[in-house]
Amino acid sequence: MSEDEENREMIEIFVMGKRYKVPKGLTIMTALEYAGYKYVRGCGCRGGFCGACATIYRTEDEYKFKMDLACQTAVQDGMFLVQLPFVPAVREDFDIEEVDPKENDNVMLDYYSEIARCVSCNTCTKACPQDIEAMDYVQAALRGDVERCADLSFDCIQCGLCSIRCPADIKHYHLAQLARRITGRYIHEHSDELEKRVQEIKNGEYDDKMKEMVEMEMEELKKLYEERDIREEG
Amino acid sequence: MTDGYPDYMQESIKKVKETREERMGKTYDRMTPSEGQEVLNNFHPDYKKEGKEELKIGPSKGRKVPTELAKLLRARSLIDPSEIDLTQVDHDVDVLIIGGGGAGTVAALWSVYEGIDPENILISTKLRHGDSNSMMAQGGIQAADKDDDSPIKHYLDAIGGGHFTNVPELVKALTIDGPKVLKWHEELGIMYDREEDGNFVELPGGGTSRYRLHSSGDYTGMELMRVLRDEADNLDIPVLEFTPAVELLKDDKGQVAGALLMNLETNEYYVVRAKSTVMATGGFGRLHVQAFPTTNHYGATGDGLIMGYRAGVPIRDLDSVQYHPTGAAFPDQIVGLLVTEKVRSLGAQPVNMDGELFVNPLEPRDIEAAAIIRECRGRENGVTTPTGMQGVWLDSPLIEMKSGEGTIEDTLPAMVRQYERFGIDITKEPILVYPTLHYQNGGLIINEDGSTPVKGLFAGGEVEGGVHGKNRLMGNSLLDYNVFGRRAGMTAAKHAKKASIGKLTLDHVNDYNQQIEDAGIKTDKKSPLLLPEYRGKKVLERHLDVEVTL
Amino acid sequence: MEEGYLYYPGCTLKTKASDYEESAMAVMEALGKPLVEMDDWYCCGAVQSLTEDDIMHQIAPIRTMCCAQEQGEKEVVTLCDMCYNVLKQANERMKEKPDDLETMNEFLTEDPDYLGEVDVHHIFEILRDMKDEIKKKVKKPITDLKIAPYYGCMLLRPDHVAIDDTEDPHIMEGLLEAIGAEVIHNPKRTECCGSYHTVNRSDIVEKRVEDIVSRAVKDGADAIALSCPLCQFNLDFHQRNTEYDIPVFYLTELIALAMGIEVGMEKHKIDPKSLLKDKKILE
Ligand SMILES: Cc1cc2nc3c(=O)[nH]c(=O)nc-3n(C[C@H](O)[C@H](O)[C@H](O)COP(=O)(O)OP(=O)(O)OC[C@H]3O[C@@H](n4cnc5c(N)ncnc54)[C@H](O)[C@@H]3O)c2cc1C
Ligand code: FES
Repeated sequence: MSEDEENREMIEIFVMGKRYKVPKGLTIMTALEYAGYKYVRGCGCRGGFCGACATIYRTEDEYKFKMDLACQTAVQDGMFLVQLPFVPAVREDFDIEEVDPKENDNVMLDYYSEIARCVSCNTCTKACPQDIEAMDYVQAALRGDVERCADLSFDCIQCGLCSIRCPADIKHYHLAQLARRITGRYIHEHSDELEKRVQEIKNGEYDDKMKEMVEMEMEELKKLYEERDIREEG
Repeated sequence: MTDGYPDYMQESIKKVKETREERMGKTYDRMTPSEGQEVLNNFHPDYKKEGKEELKIGPSKGRKVPTELAKLLRARSLIDPSEIDLTQVDHDVDVLIIGGGGAGTVAALWSVYEGIDPENILISTKLRHGDSNSMMAQGGIQAADKDDDSPIKHYLDAIGGGHFTNVPELVKALTIDGPKVLKWHEELGIMYDREEDGNFVELPGGGTSRYRLHSSGDYTGMELMRVLRDEADNLDIPVLEFTPAVELLKDDKGQVAGALLMNLETNEYYVVRAKSTVMATGGFGRLHVQAFPTTNHYGATGDGLIMGYRAGVPIRDLDSVQYHPTGAAFPDQIVGLLVTEKVRSLGAQPVNMDGELFVNPLEPRDIEAAAIIRECRGRENGVTTPTGMQGVWLDSPLIEMKSGEGTIEDTLPAMVRQYERFGIDITKEPILVYPTLHYQNGGLIINEDGSTPVKGLFAGGEVEGGVHGKNRLMGNSLLDYNVFGRRAGMTAAKHAKKASIGKLTLDHVNDYNQQIEDAGIKTDKKSPLLLPEYRGKKVLERHLDVEVTL
Repeated sequence: MEEGYLYYPGCTLKTKASDYEESAMAVMEALGKPLVEMDDWYCCGAVQSLTEDDIMHQIAPIRTMCCAQEQGEKEVVTLCDMCYNVLKQANERMKEKPDDLETMNEFLTEDPDYLGEVDVHHIFEILRDMKDEIKKKVKKPITDLKIAPYYGCMLLRPDHVAIDDTEDPHIMEGLLEAIGAEVIHNPKRTECCGSYHTVNRSDIVEKRVEDIVSRAVKDGADAIALSCPLCQFNLDFHQRNTEYDIPVFYLTELIALAMGIEVGMEKHKIDPKSLLKDKKILE
């Protein structure tokens, strides 16, 4: 990493109010590191998948808060920022065997009754760095449409910005996790092909052939590999 | 700088556009074994003479590993055993799991299924539970469940892809357990992409002879990891976050007997005594082997290799490192991040600055990566970025020409989002890519039940070696962490039921320090590394090493 | 909407009160004016905030009005009394107080602004105006059934959103007559059922329910008809600790039966089917 100040255009950012000069073109995360912070919290995957680096900021010309991921957002001149490495949002335990929506038409409300407090202010959606329609999935949960809640929330990285901004104290991302698991378990059809294969394996149908493969001479194995037929298209 | 491709790159993009129509639907012959070998020899970083070092001490003395890893393997322990009071045990458990990523979480769940009370399990993890490489996987997981497929075919693909260096028994476990793992995932409620009838949507991957890759959009790893974590939460399995293991503990009988943990926020140490210990610390991408950028998460510093090696577990296949053929090469902010292989599975082709196809898009990873390096360095047909990176185009708009408008948005939402943030629309413009450090092919030696040669220690996931030999195929490591996380967890649980632990010691650490001394190795390094160093040079030069006490 | 009415369901209609939705949809379909569900809609909030300066709790209903406007519609029909009341009150407030509408629009940041031109109606208002068509469609008048209508609070109070005379409503009576039922006049028909006390003070609700139902039974009713899902739940469920067990119908279920339309009536606690069989309305 070349960090030659003289050759790079520098900008000013304010980390929790403290001014630092950092090169233009870094992400918020790499800018903080450039400034001398060593992350313990607030940094996980560095690739936009884990939600550890939720960041709240304002820029000089905007009266509104903005929210984004430190690892995926370029620093801007005059940015005031703070990271939010943890959101205290209580998650409800459940038993996956006991949440069949066919048995209970509003299972979501049973676990997260506070969704009934949603005032449709849409602050959660505005806070989401993934541009998920968070309010809409809460609304879907409210009317018992578990699958829609699951689909709309699918790209959630569980950073918690929605929940920290919510005036109704909803725990969006926990709610959505429950909806997705119910959907995967009870609403989506399961695979017949898989079921069949699992039975074949249980019945030992591959045991002999597998033994043969494991014990096969290297040359023969190589030959088999080179001659294997490859499904190329469609 | 963040507003899409600069003008001069646009010119090359124009050529890519012009040749698109004609390239569409064309394939490029796969290399013959000898052609493959040649490009590997000349261009793959692993095949370079420099960059590796022979180990002078420890159970795999004489083996070569990347210099960056060797430096840590011949470093002193982060801790001074004489400062540690092992008589004060903070956690006394049946099963200690080191690493709260995929393998660790799977191991914990299967320890519970195997009869261990969650209260007697402890997961130690470096960052938050789930912050891991597992969370980042995009492409998918292999398992042979289609009618035209079988575990045997999967076996052959995996072992051939690994250049026949894999341990056959481990490949057998990997491939025969695959369908069972997916069945378990269905029961947990993981949302895979499915056809109307409930069967899985499956795609090919580099080196696979069948369509075998199961995915959840391009958030496959995240979907798996967040469900596994959710289930561990449901079962109330205790997790210590930001509290990594820094050294294994042994007992006076020489078996592994737990670990010493350190709270990263207070620097307090904790002694954990455990009847079984599972190593699940994942890979080492953050060591930046040969100065490559990496796709890996922040905590991928190879700690498990260091701790395990010091405790006497031999290692294998670490001389080969997986460079993912397609890491982002532009914009600068995301250099090294993964452009999933699924982009190629869906039909995108790698093309050079003139818009010419130069390699089959679905060669095994090492060959594909070497071919891209050859195109840039050898033939000088790459595109240079404003910061001096080289890359070739991955022609993503082909996907939509092939499968219709909206396909990219539907199947690669994470990719679209990542590029959109920097003003690039991958449905219309190609992506600039260059190989990036992706996966630690080898690791600690294990048996097919997940046990290591050292009693009391088990391992699963990226930290272990042998499953993939010297080259892993896409989709086999998510499977690996499930299969061997499960096996390690079950075996650890069984072991814990009959094991008894003697007096705790850190003597093996002292011994290892002595070996360093005896071998005449000079080092000022300490390991495990725990976290990589990215602070600015200027700040570090002016860093005062003082403790502030009030 | 020419082909029918833009329909706002509300959450309960999608879960606990699906019987109501099913029967209302079927009736309107048969009358040639189907209910067309809105493309987008939001939970109404379920309680009308009476605080003058509390704009926050008016957001949800107005966001739904924006959705109607977006679809180019000027009328929205609700089934649930609670939704009706909340949507109507919030919407009327926006019409009457332009300042509030402006504040609201600033917060909503919807594009375009809500113009305050949508009207909210309850399904009973629509049915009242189609009484003649209903009469024509009746195939099996339910003449043997003695029904006590029950209005509860939300359709009649406060005065400015009432769909009928607050003290002496007749909408349901008129509709029941149209389908041939014998109307049992119930003086308790506009009293509160106990409403949300059902959550934590079921003693209060039980007392209310006993009061309402006992009077209806004393006057000879076989069943009660209403439209509010919460009233339905309370009157139906909370009879369990009383000596009574008369079915509690959504009025639209009875209209459907009279028109010869099959309806599920799956979610009733007190099974209505045996009564209907006794009276030869069901086979
Ligand atoms: C970007 C990316 C994309 C990928 N895509 C795919 C794909 O499509 N298909 C596929 O099959 N594979 C893919 N892989 C590979 C696969 O995700 C990983 O190999 C696999 O998930 C590893 O699982 P693991 O549990 O062994 O390690 P990890 O998931 O990395 O978990 C290890 C955990 O241990 C923690 N840890 C580390 N050191 C310590 C310590 N000292 N003490 C305590 N805890 C510690 C880490 O912080 C982490 O939480 C991808 C990898 C990456 C990085
Ligand atoms: S560090 Fe994981 S999302 Fe930014």
